[in-house]
Amino acid sequence: MTAEPLAVLTGALRLHRRALVLWAVALAAVTALYASFYPTMGTTAEMQGLVDSLPEGMITAFGWEDITSPAGYLSSTVYGLIAPALLLVHAVALGARLLAGQEEDGTLELEVSAPIGRRRLLAERTAALWLSSLALVAAVTATTLLLVVVLDLDLASGNVLAASSGLLLLVLAIGTIALATGAVTGRRAVALGLAAGVAVLAFVADALGPLADLPWLRTISPWSWYLAEEPLATGVDLAGLGSLAALTLIAAGIGLVAIGRRDLMV
Amino acid sequence: MSDVVVRTEGLVKDYGAVRALAGIDLVVERGEVFGFLGPNGAGKSTTIRLLLDLLRPTAGRVEVLGVAPRAGGAALRARLGYLPGELAMAGRQRAGDLLAHLARLRGGAGRERIAPLAARFGLDLERPIGALSKGNKQKVGVVQAFMHEPELLVLDEPSSGLDPLLQRELLDLVAETRQAGATVFMSSHVLSEVEDAADRVAIIRAGELVDVDDIVALRRRAGQRVQVRFAEAVAPEAFAGVTGLAELVVDGAELSCRLHGDPGPLLAALAAQPVSRLVVEDRELEDLFLDHYRLPPTGPQDGDDDR
Repeated sequence: MTAEPLAVLTGALRLHRRALVLWAVALAAVTALYASFYPTMGTTAEMQGLVDSLPEGMITAFGWEDITSPAGYLSSTVYGLIAPALLLVHAVALGARLLAGQEEDGTLELEVSAPIGRRRLLAERTAALWLSSLALVAAVTATTLLLVVVLDLDLASGNVLAASSGLLLLVLAIGTIALATGAVTGRRAVALGLAAGVAVLAFVADALGPLADLPWLRTISPWSWYLAEEPLATGVDLAGLGSLAALTLIAAGIGLVAIGRRDLMV
Repeated sequence: MSDVVVRTEGLVKDYGAVRALAGIDLVVERGEVFGFLGPNGAGKSTTIRLLLDLLRPTAGRVEVLGVAPRAGGAALRARLGYLPGELAMAGRQRAGDLLAHLARLRGGAGRERIAPLAARFGLDLERPIGALSKGNKQKVGVVQAFMHEPELLVLDEPSSGLDPLLQRELLDLVAETRQAGATVFMSSHVLSEVEDAADRVAIIRAGELVDVDDIVALRRRAGQRVQVRFAEAVAPEAFAGVTGLAELVVDGAELSCRLHGDPGPLLAALAAQPVSRLVVEDRELEDLFLDHYRLPPTGPQDGDDDR
């Protein structure tokens, strides 16, 4: 007899559920904190004056050109910095742990010796990573939508969903890179390092592109695929979403091929 | 029925430049309990992980229940029960939750045996795994290995952490499982652990098999320790030509030696002497085991006999 449907997925989520609830609460709280500062900070003349006094390069790098509109404010705070940072930390840590981490600490051994193929084992773990990230992005999105109503912000719900879709796909892409690196190498530190490196380089490339007048930096940066077209102001950017989805699927595919081929050092 | 359950031919496994197994030939037949003995680091766990398709062979062949582990895949592993040598389990879940999860990974097989097996070994299924002692964790491993009544049980150092009473209980379970027709492949670095349970024993050392034999033949090879006291001093020459003796020492009225095989010639030689006391005992199999550890693979100067 082989495994019941989604047995690996439910097992992984069961172990992660307590942490996931805490992450969701923390993300909702941070989102609410930043968003609720908008009426007291974002709209004031002082804020605009403060931004105007900054060097132009800095304004460009951090995307503060439009910080006094709700879309601009949320782009440079919640959606542009704090939410992706926290979500990426979660996804990279979980992605590195779900395969390489569990291989290193040996907890994978009882599962890989069960009657379940290695590819399915990894595919269901990938699904667990994606569902966990989806739940957290949903917490950010719901909090944002709630505050748009409560604070009566001039921001279309459709644009919030468009930005959230990009945020989700960015997190899935980087998290899946962590998981797939673990599947290729079996080493948690390598998985953590590579995925975190990709995330940081993507952020730096997105900031440097317009500053250094090197537009190709934004072409290759997943961070730019997510945010360069200002989804909170302009709505869905299909090219960006497509690039992020493609990166996610390629990473997942590499992991699935690699896991079937090597020794598992449990 | 005498078909082969495990067969390896020239099995080699390298970890990078390190050769962990240097050509292992093993045959385990259906229905036997096969002991796999060797010191830590000899290659026992590596061999076992090759059987489970956790590792892939560098060279040579391995077959489990008639198929290569990689080709057999999930369908093959459904017929195996495995107790890892270094059992690692996430600590925050309850023992019962982990076992239920492992049963789901087996399509529900063995679910109904979790409670009775846990009761038999005195395992509290409600406690979180992180709060369990080493012995209690080992019980979780034992339950998950046996619960689905597999055709082949692969047990890596199964009684580590268990107290003597539970070791006995485990050996009873092994014997029952064998009665029911299963085959058991169990490794150990302690001979006594497999001596009572196993039909045949393989001894592995530094990645090479040094011996495979049934327990009876191993005992015969180990020989017997003979000690004789005479009423008066005897001439050592009286025993010089006796066949089957090793380590013969004659010291005045005392004789000690190791006897291999037929005791007739020794008894004939003794009959001519004034024997006052005769002690013959089986050598501990442990002694034979230690002989093999000391036995260098190529020459007498291996340098690992300093302890």
